[in-house]
Amino acid sequence: MTTTILNTTPGQITRKQKLGPASIIAIGIILALLILPAFVQGYTLTSYRDVLLFALFALSLDLFWGKTGILSFGHATFFGLGAYGMAIMSIHFSIDPAIVSLVGLLAGVGMAALVALIVGYFILYGGVRGAYFTIVTLALTLIANHVAVGWPSVTGGDSGLIGVPPFSILGWSFADPISSYYLALIVLGACLLSSMWVMSGRLGLILTAIQDDEIKVQTLGYKTPLLLLMTFAASAAMAALAGGLYAAGNGFVAPDMIALLLSTEVIIWVAVGGSGTLVGAVIGTAIVWWLQQKISSINASAWPIVIGTFFILLVLVFPKGPAAFVLDKVKKLRRDKEDDR
Amino acid sequence: MEALIPFSLNALTLISILLMVSMGMAIIFGLMNVINLAHGEFITIGAFTLVVVQGLGGNFWLALIAAPIVGYIIGLALEKALIARIYENPLHAILVTWGLSLILQQVIQLIFGASPQSITGPFPGSIDILGVAYPAYRLFLIAFALATFAATILVFKKTKFGLDLRASIQSSEMASVMGVNPDKINARAFASGAALAALAGVLLAPLTAVTAYMGINYLARSFFVVLVGGAGSISGVAAGSGLIGSLETALSYEIPTTVAQALVLALAIVILRFRPQGILPA
Repeated sequence: MTTTILNTTPGQITRKQKLGPASIIAIGIILALLILPAFVQGYTLTSYRDVLLFALFALSLDLFWGKTGILSFGHATFFGLGAYGMAIMSIHFSIDPAIVSLVGLLAGVGMAALVALIVGYFILYGGVRGAYFTIVTLALTLIANHVAVGWPSVTGGDSGLIGVPPFSILGWSFADPISSYYLALIVLGACLLSSMWVMSGRLGLILTAIQDDEIKVQTLGYKTPLLLLMTFAASAAMAALAGGLYAAGNGFVAPDMIALLLSTEVIIWVAVGGSGTLVGAVIGTAIVWWLQQKISSINASAWPIVIGTFFILLVLVFPKGPAAFVLDKVKKLRRDKEDDR
Repeated sequence: MEALIPFSLNALTLISILLMVSMGMAIIFGLMNVINLAHGEFITIGAFTLVVVQGLGGNFWLALIAAPIVGYIIGLALEKALIARIYENPLHAILVTWGLSLILQQVIQLIFGASPQSITGPFPGSIDILGVAYPAYRLFLIAFALATFAATILVFKKTKFGLDLRASIQSSEMASVMGVNPDKINARAFASGAALAALAGVLLAPLTAVTAYMGINYLARSFFVVLVGGAGSISGVAAGSGLIGSLETALSYEIPTTVAQALVLALAIVILRFRPQGILPA
């Protein structure tokens, strides 16, 4: 088993009867976030809501990258499909306002899952793994971005679409900051806990085994391309869910929601939290978002340089991820102290 | 018949552009097997060399000589500092070169600003070909690309550097036993790829908007040219450029160019499913 962050291996062999530390952290975070609106209101709360939706997006990437070890460089495609699906359905079609949000969300999620299934079929069944998969998914984001920019009559081109109505369902509207915050939190919490539950079971084990040796797993009778394809499609659907809710929350879509930079940023959110942990994706998103606020307030154009430097450091300095890097240092310090005694 | 001439010339222009931007990729990705996501930025560096040279009062031809030298030096420095450490792990290569790409883009934009640079190409007029007036610069581009392609093939087949490189790719251990220093060969090959990309950047500059982000448009296409043509063979680049270039030209007569580009990339994914070794494998 390799131990780098790019090939993370979940350690569990059997489903644990008791709650693991990751689940306790996850539940703790959700509980803490539940009482957050008591302390912050208005605009600040809406930006926290966006962080929750980005965390959901990061979780979707971790579900695939962290669990299968195959890096998708094109996850913004699916986030963007969710966002554009929501926007196009609610702006270009006159659908009953009671169900328009639901139709938009389903259209976006369905499109994303369909694209993931088609592209995934061609590459995963074609035996493409590892780095080639990454390049093809990178191209996928470029293709999607080309279409978003080059088809103005539908997508609004460079300026995007404005006027996406707030999420509502059968008369329940999530227009004000507090209700839209709770909507995002409930969706994130449900997705986080259910993915952790699924991945601690049989599927998680098989995916880990595929990471180690796909041919052996095939010999045991598992259809590995199918399992990878299903995980990819589920991950894409979750990314689109985040994108659709983001578009409804902010009222607009723009081509930078379906661009390569966003695909890149989500990799960093996952990597900072430690890929493969699922709950780490949520923590990583919050940390990076906070850092981005600090750095952008000093110099807005410095941010891409920070991201670029982070990628290089990630490989050359802390290949297991920053969290593991710090933990290792702490452990080493402790050992040194014990040795001194 | 009348319409066929500009069509084939347009297709040839695009094929030549793809050929130019993909040759460096064919060396770095196709032969050395390094996934270099900063490839587009080497093209940008070439175009900005033209901007600097013209800003200092030089002309296009001076930039055409200067750009590959600048590309070679930057490529060599980056190979020594970063790329040499990531040859074994493709995912590491992806992350490091992507980080590099973001940094280069932003640094270029900080120095030169976000608005497109103004540059002047040579040959402003057009030439009559079988009764059709066609921009002279594009005809020059086609001839130059073919000449560069032929020269690159010659370097790989006939020189000692080409022989050493091919030997060290087949078996770097065996080559080093025979007295070839693989570190040196890798560094020179990577730098040559960067130099070819920078040369492509100068040639492209008069035809496109020169901005810090211009390179990214060619990144995915050059990957697919190399993959579709057959990674590991320089002549595959011609096949890949020919297929992707003519398809894209044909499609963009009917649908918007960006959508045509998207469709061709999608088609390339399908081709790879059924012919993963490319059209002209090594």
